[in-house]
This record gives sequence, structure tokens and C-alpha cells, in this order.
Amino acid sequence: MKKWRNGFFLLFLVATSLILITQQVGAQAESPQKTALISGTIFDSQKQPVAGAEIVWSPQPGGEPLAQTTSQPNGSFALVLPETVKGSLLTGSAIRSSNSSEAGLPLSQVLTSTLTLQISRPHFKPDAIQLDQAAVQSLKAGQPVALPEIVMQRRIDLGFWIATVVFILVLVLIASGQLHNTLASLLGAALLLGISYLGEPLRQDLFIFNFNNALNYVDWNVVFLIMGMMIVIAVVERTGIFQWLAYMAYRISGGRTWLLVPILMLITGVASAFLDNVTTMLLMTPITVQIALSMGISPLALLMPEVMASNMMGISTLIGTPTNILIGSYASITFNDFLKNLTPGVFLGFIGLVIYSEFVYRKELLSDSEEGVSALLLEKLAERARITEPIHLQKAGVVGLGMLLLFIFGENVHLLPSVTALMGATALLVWIKPDIEEMIEAVDWTTLVFFITLFIVVGAVQEVGLISFIADGISRVVGSNLVLATLIIIWLSALLSTVIANIPFTAAMLPVVAFLSGTIPGATDKVLFYCLSVGSALGGNGSLIGASANMVTAGIAERAGYPITYVYFLKKGFPALVITVGLLTLWIFIRF
Amino acid sequence: MSGIVCAIRGGPGSRPTIDKAISLAAESDLRIYYLYVVNLDFLAHTQSSRIHSITEEMTQMGEFILLSAQATANARNVGAEGVVRQGDIGEEIVNLCLEVKADYVILGTPQVEREENIFNIQRLNTFRERLEGETGAQVVLVGGETE
Repeated sequence: MKKWRNGFFLLFLVATSLILITQQVGAQAESPQKTALISGTIFDSQKQPVAGAEIVWSPQPGGEPLAQTTSQPNGSFALVLPETVKGSLLTGSAIRSSNSSEAGLPLSQVLTSTLTLQISRPHFKPDAIQLDQAAVQSLKAGQPVALPEIVMQRRIDLGFWIATVVFILVLVLIASGQLHNTLASLLGAALLLGISYLGEPLRQDLFIFNFNNALNYVDWNVVFLIMGMMIVIAVVERTGIFQWLAYMAYRISGGRTWLLVPILMLITGVASAFLDNVTTMLLMTPITVQIALSMGISPLALLMPEVMASNMMGISTLIGTPTNILIGSYASITFNDFLKNLTPGVFLGFIGLVIYSEFVYRKELLSDSEEGVSALLLEKLAERARITEPIHLQKAGVVGLGMLLLFIFGENVHLLPSVTALMGATALLVWIKPDIEEMIEAVDWTTLVFFITLFIVVGAVQEVGLISFIADGISRVVGSNLVLATLIIIWLSALLSTVIANIPFTAAMLPVVAFLSGTIPGATDKVLFYCLSVGSALGGNGSLIGASANMVTAGIAERAGYPITYVYFLKKGFPALVITVGLLTLWIFIRF
Repeated sequence: MSGIVCAIRGGPGSRPTIDKAISLAAESDLRIYYLYVVNLDFLAHTQSSRIHSITEEMTQMGEFILLSAQATANARNVGAEGVVRQGDIGEEIVNLCLEVKADYVILGTPQVEREENIFNIQRLNTFRERLEGETGAQVVLVGGETE
């Protein structure tokens, strides 16, 4: 039975990889063009494409539609007019009485001197486009007609307010910790869909979106990339590598605490660039506490620099933070792009953070400890600092290297990061054959559900136009000034991320940044997306609730008798935020 | 078997509790059982899937903290051992007291009253009554524990 389950899980991973590959390669064929068609592209007032708008042609107002289509995700549509029209579908008595009513009238006889298209979409004002005589003549002659850009105006309806309130409610529930993150976003998604379906029969403007529309907002590349990486991490974390590395940091430092701090920061930071920050800190914190106790110093002098390094250095790669995964997938920023455009800046910030940490903890690090070094504890520490599963570590190292190469070079064949992560996870599972039950437990399904439902909640505020209004507001402030936009995106993101969970914040900001990138001259090189990456991640250093890694570090530290209070974190972390965001802002200006 | 159960979590806040246990043990010639309870409530809102891995790490950290307390007791010629448990701290204190037939239980009182404290003064007094009733051990409260 267990073998069957193991086989099924592996089969699921392989099948998922294949589906993602085929989806990527496929969907290139386009339908052959018909002659009598009307094509066009629909945008909103922020020049963002409007998908799902219904374009209808009916010869008589309120009559049976003779042709209809829906706009695509890029806003384009192609309305194919029928070659003949049955007379019974027309309300004009003259035409209906014609003998041709059964066989169908040629389109050229049905078309009058003008033609009106009705365009409608929930949360937009209905629009009507009238084709002039020349266009109608072209259609009569069987020639296609391309319409100029169509702009639909947003409409603030009841659905707008409901989606906005639900979005704020989810943010508040997450920030206040009243509900588990996943439960909060699940509640939001359920409310939005429930109101859409149950409310629409009562009031049409209660409709926000349907289930299919909601799923269109889910970025499956993000979900599968996170899932793949979780499996890899689950294997790596059981090898004892973190404990061994931390102990080696102590050995290399020779017991000099001022040297131990940057080494531990570097280990934590590099680990965070490839693994998620929470897992890194969950594994690093207990061993760091033990090192600090052995050396007779406060663990906080090591833990605070570590967690701040973790929050910062995660942004140096595409897979280092969930926010980077979101940004990379949305804006098509590759692993290499992050390496080229952010990693050097992150090292600049790292240097600043090391200097700051040495300064702020100088008393703990430079003076002799009260208790002194404990030989007994050090002996125990050395005993435990060993690789517990060396074979698994070797195999994970080989697979990890392969994944790194695919992340770096895979973009040449348009290989999605999610496919790389899934292939790596599958290869590792096939190679080491772990207990699949344990592996399934190690995948944080609640986090995956959190992302899926969060995409739906953020999708709702995009759907109803809230994001467009925010984008419009920011656009009015920054105008066409790229420098101002850069500063606002970095610093606003950083400050807001100290109080708002940065994942929903980033997900909501992506369309805003996309709009600004499309409208501000010089912003087309995605500089504003890098600003969002820097701000949303480094904001985590500003307060205890700014990042999940902070919370778990504080949780473990408290259970070792060294509580990290909100005020303590603010005092130590906020200056670090200012320094590191300042240095990264400088780097962004140098790089771009 | 009899002895002194002393629940600690480490850090400067636990020192008065550890010292009290040692002085009481020296007077009564009883063995100390330092107790550390692994509690992972802080993971409830984030990484619930990591509980398996982190439990092992926290257990090791607990053993480490207890080792330090044991060393302090041994240095003063008092016999002490460390016990790490997982779960609810109150239940685990009661269980250990019953197991070792404890004569005394040393508990730290919170330095600062906070809602998130597992034992605030009111809860501590309620727990004290329950502990004495269920185990027959005498509870000694010591100021300074932050829990």
C-alpha cells in the first residue's frame, strides 16, 4: 500500500513537470483568420489590457446577437461575422418575410450603413463602438477591419467595496495574528466567491468574479516553484548541515565573537538566498543559542544580526524569498537577472549590516563575558556538530548544483523555474528514496493554500479596479519622474512591509508597478520591480512582525529565556532597515 | 525516589530559580530534576510542517540549557539531572512530579505581567493549588522567571 502511495506521489510530480513543460511549449498555433472579422484591443484607463470583456454584434438593439466574442488576457479580440444570417434571427419584418429566411441572408444584405458593437464587462461602464460607413463597406467586401484602441472606463460598484473590504480584512487578520495566515486568506477567497455566486441573483453588482476567473489570477508557476523547493529543503534540513556549518563558524572564529558575527551572518545569508528564510532561521536559531551559551554571551547578539542578514540576503536570488518568486514570475525576471541586478547590491548592504551589527552589539561582542566560555558546553556542541546523513547531503548537493545550473542556464530554453524545482525535487526523491509520508508532511501545504487563496483575494481587488485606482494615484504623484518613482517604491514598500505582511503587499503591488513601468519613461528595464523586491524584503527588518523569520527567531529565543520584544526589535532593527535600504537604493541608482 | 523538580527555560530570568533549587537541595540532600518543556506554539501561525525538524532542534537546545544548570549544581556538590519533555508545560510538570515523587517544585514567578505569559500570577496560583493537590509536593515560588 505504501509503495503504491509512494509511486503515486512521484508519478504526480513527474506528470506535473510534463504538464508545465507542454504548457510552455504549446499554445503557439493561432486560429486561421476569417475574412469578415473585426479585431481590436481593449484597455482600461491605465492602459492595462482588459480580459474577459464581451463584444457583441446585434443588428437591432436588444435583438439576438449574431456574433460575439470575449477579449483575451492581452485585451485583444477578433469578432468573426457570420457569412449568412437566418432571417428568423432578424427582427426586421421586410427581411423576415423574405424567401431567404430559411436558407439565410448573405451578410452584405444584413449590414446597413453603420454597425454598432456592444462591449460589456463586470466592473466597467458598458460601451458601444460604432463602425463608420467605410468600415462597414470593407466588411461587406469580406475584408477584415481593425479598430483603434478601445478604452473602457472603470465603474465603482458594490462589488468594488466588498472586494476592498475583504482584502483589508485579510491584511488585518494576518497582521494581527487573529487567524492563521492561510485561514485568513482562505476566508477571504471563500467570502469573495460566495458573495459573487450567492449575491448576484439578488443584486447584479454584488458579482465580483466567477470561479474560473478567480483561478486565472493564481500564478501556478509560483505555487509549484515553492512546492518543489520545499521538498528539496526537507531533504537538506535533515542532514545536519546547518548545525555543522554553525559550529564550523565558531571554530573558524577561534572564539572571537566579533568575528563570529559576520561568519554566522554570511552562512545564514547565503542559505537564505537558496532556501526560504523561515526554514533557515528555524534551523540556525537553536544552534546559535547553544553557541552563544557556550561562549557565555547573550544569544541576541548573534541572533539579531543573523535574522537581519537572512531577510536581506534572501533577495539576492529568484528563489530566496517568496516575494522574489512572485516578482520574478509576474515580471519575467530570471534567476540571472536577480544575480546581475541585485546580488552585488545585497553584498553592499551586507557590509553595512555587519558594521552596524558590530557597532550596536559592541558591548556584548568585545567585552569579556560574565560567565566565560564553558568547556563542558563546547564539548557537547562539538559532539553534536556532525553531518547526520552524509549520503543524503552528497546527493542533495549534486541535485542542488544541477538545479542551480538549470536556474542559471535554463532561461536560454525558456525553462520555467517551477519546472526546474519540480525536476530537482523529483530527482532527489527518486535518488534517495526517503519515507514519502515524511516528505509529504514536510511540504507546507498550508503555505501553498495560502498562496493560492491569496492570489484569489488580490485578484479580486484587481478585478474590481482597486489596484488601478492605486496605480493611478501613485502615477499622479510621481508623474514621469523615474527617480521619484524609484524612491517611493523602495521606501514605501519598506515602511509598509514593517506592518503589513509583505507577501500580500507584494502581490497587490505587482500590477501597480507594472502600470508605472509602462507609463514612466525609462522604467521599462524593470527597475521598479527590483525596487519592490528590495523594499518589501528589507522592510522585514524594521519590526518584529515584518517577517515570519523574525517571529520564529523570537519564538525560539524566548523559549531559551531570551525574549525579543517588539520594542527591542524595533530599536535594533529599524536603524538597520534605514542603513540597508539606503545602501540598496544607492546600488539601484548606480546599476540603473 | 524523591527530589526537587525545577522547571526552567534558560536565560538570566532562570538563574534565581536554579539557585533556589540548588540551595534547597543542599539543605535537604535531595536530587534536583531540571525540567525543560519544548513548546512550539509560536509555529502555529507560520510553519506547521516544520514541527518534526524543529522539535529535534529544540530538544537539543533544551538539553543544552539544562546541561548548563546541571553543571552549576554539580559545581556546588548537588546531584542534578535534566529532563526534556514536549507538550503542555503544566501537564509535564505534574507528570514529572508524580514520576519522581517530588518533595518540592520550584517555579519562577513572572518578572513582568504579560498576556502571553504561560503562567501569570493568577494562573500560577491556580496551578500551584492543583500541583500541590495532585502530587503532594510543596511548591516554592521564586521571583525572576520571565515565563
